[in-house]
Amino acid sequence: MIIDRRDALAGMAAMFGASLFAPIARAAGAQVPPISDGPPSAPVFTAQQRALMTALSERVMPTTDTPGAITAGVPAFIEKLLADWASPDDRKPILAGLDTIEARSQADYKVAADKATPAQQDALLTLAMEDKLPGGKDFFDKFRQLVLTGYFTSEVGITQEREYLPVPGRYDGAYLYSEVNKVFSS
Amino acid sequence: MADKFDAIVIGSGVSGGWAAKELTEKGLKVLMLDRGVMVEHGENYDYDGKPAYEIPARDMMPKALVESDYFIAKHGYISPSNQKFYNNDRLNPYAYGEGEKFYWIRPGAVGGKSLIWGRWSFRWSPEDFEANKRENVGIDWPIRYDDLAPWYDYVEKYIGVSGSRENLPQLPDSAFQPPMQMNIAEKWVKERLEATSPGRKLINTRLSNITEDKEDQGRTKCQFRNQCGRGCSFGAYFSTQAVTLPAARATGRLTLRSDALVSNLEYDPKTKRVTGVRVVDAKTKQAEVIPARLVFLCASALASTQILMNSRIPGSGKSHFDTSGTLGRYVMDHIFRVGISGDIPGMTDYIEYGRRPGGVYIPRFRNVGGEEGIGFRRGYGYQGSARRDPAQPVGFGASMKQGMRGYGPWKFGMGAFGECLPYEDNRVSLHPDKVDRFGVPLMRFDVTFRDNEIRMMDDARTEGEAMLRKAGLTNVRSERREHVPGDAIHEMGGARMGADPRQSVLNKWSQAHDAANLFVTDGAQMASISCVNPSLTFMALTARAADYAVKQMKAGTI
Repeated sequence: MIIDRRDALAGMAAMFGASLFAPIARAAGAQVPPISDGPPSAPVFTAQQRALMTALSERVMPTTDTPGAITAGVPAFIEKLLADWASPDDRKPILAGLDTIEARSQADYKVAADKATPAQQDALLTLAMEDKLPGGKDFFDKFRQLVLTGYFTSEVGITQEREYLPVPGRYDGAYLYSEVNKVFSS
Repeated sequence: MADKFDAIVIGSGVSGGWAAKELTEKGLKVLMLDRGVMVEHGENYDYDGKPAYEIPARDMMPKALVESDYFIAKHGYISPSNQKFYNNDRLNPYAYGEGEKFYWIRPGAVGGKSLIWGRWSFRWSPEDFEANKRENVGIDWPIRYDDLAPWYDYVEKYIGVSGSRENLPQLPDSAFQPPMQMNIAEKWVKERLEATSPGRKLINTRLSNITEDKEDQGRTKCQFRNQCGRGCSFGAYFSTQAVTLPAARATGRLTLRSDALVSNLEYDPKTKRVTGVRVVDAKTKQAEVIPARLVFLCASALASTQILMNSRIPGSGKSHFDTSGTLGRYVMDHIFRVGISGDIPGMTDYIEYGRRPGGVYIPRFRNVGGEEGIGFRRGYGYQGSARRDPAQPVGFGASMKQGMRGYGPWKFGMGAFGECLPYEDNRVSLHPDKVDRFGVPLMRFDVTFRDNEIRMMDDARTEGEAMLRKAGLTNVRSERREHVPGDAIHEMGGARMGADPRQSVLNKWSQAHDAANLFVTDGAQMASISCVNPSLTFMALTARAADYAVKQMKAGTI
């Protein structure tokens, strides 16, 4: 019943003080809300944006002698994070940046950015990185961080790109890097 | 009427677990209560040993969940892999608002903070128990180091503390297992720091992570995963689940109830005894009073204080246990938010193999050995470590990816923990009209740091920078962030011990002046807080109090 819920919320707000009313209003209930897993609760990207985000993630962390961002599932991670784990404001610079890059690709290359060549996509990303697009650096820094976070928390990133020791069993504080030539996963 | 239980232990953390172990081993039938959810050793460590991709949200707390349910726990070290061990701040709030700023970071599971603590374990020093008297600050401790030394021995040998013998008067050695080794860069810093800052030391951490198996306890030595806070199925660090609970259960005399919140203690003013414990089932909200001949209150410093304050004389609002008028006062927490870091040149062929918990420690050097005139009382120590993070090349693409396969330079970072003095008006109290879902008045906080603490933080910053520069580190920098009391999660005081019942809540045995069958053996009893981590001292005080209580029961005085 709506009236009961409102009363409950008012009581909770009185307890915490008005400053905490907003977060409580989102989650009043006797249970701890579970962390959302599985597919995004709602799409974050249009099909076009998703295709470009996917392509650019691979340009940031490409396939080399180890798999790149796409094989590591980074695009799905980014959409899930922006849908359910980050704050709604975190989507804005990403969506705006993708649209800006899309427009620039149409202008410069007369082609949708996700269909542009890897060299053209790299050029577009470089424009963003150098802040030669509106909001470019903000987008680049945040998007790059999303890709790196997704990649290095993925199975590919943890077990293939880096060296994974689930149970190191011992500690050596003077271990030769040349024995592994990789970074140990944390 | 025969009591079903000889003793009730309230709380199952560091202190409660020790109380349950000692009392059951001495023949008592014990009921241990915890308001949190059940967590069984091994079985309920859901994310023990799992990589990030097998943990919800890649082990990063969703922002909305933090804002709605864990807005205080975020100041601790909460993540999805240990979320179950933390308090839900929405369901179990305190009065947190303007003028009441305090981070009360609480656990939410059986085992309390023993599951999620930092595990740095130090004996307090003779000076720590004498400074109040000499400086005429707070109240004189009714005990001295020598009263506690045999109990430190006793608990250290049982739990296992790794560390190095240093023979420092301000940091007495424990009965150690071998220390975890320093890495090559920490050894470099140690050598140069001790040479360029005479009298100062950089030593191995002292940690309740074992470096030798304890086969009799079914515990395996540390495997260097550094994921302790998720629970450790190896039992390699001290927790109630790994160490004291199995011992208590082995006696056959322990009953453990989770989801059991204690609202107050029932008290008979005629006999001056606690007669029972009022327990509310957290799931059904059913309340009952369970009688007991002996009560050990170990709910954490401020939760124990809350329970004491909420045990009120009908119609008066005053606690049965506050004859002295000091209950809820002299609340303290370590100073914490001073950080210093710098780069260590060279040694770039080397990295760390394994993830070592802990680090290195620079013991207190201020106001020891007659040093005077530095503008503040007491002192601080630094906890730190050296490490190499993955390299952080700029840009994107294959060259960036390749660059990330290397490491950056060795970096050293450390943070100061310092002593806060006891002030009468640093206090907690019950909110006059706000109550939680169990009808218990919310806790209010009025705790601030004063001039001595601010000067100490400034000094820790200045000295830390100077020491690292003199030792040859480069790019040395520091920060002093706002420190909200509670932030160090070393909150103590509220029911201090003292010789005079008119000035203290507890006597030298952690026993209430106002009730001979009530003992409070967690951080509430502390009359000052040293500058080193307190949990080992809670353990020693608890074992000592349990020994005394059982002797008094046998003598018929309790």
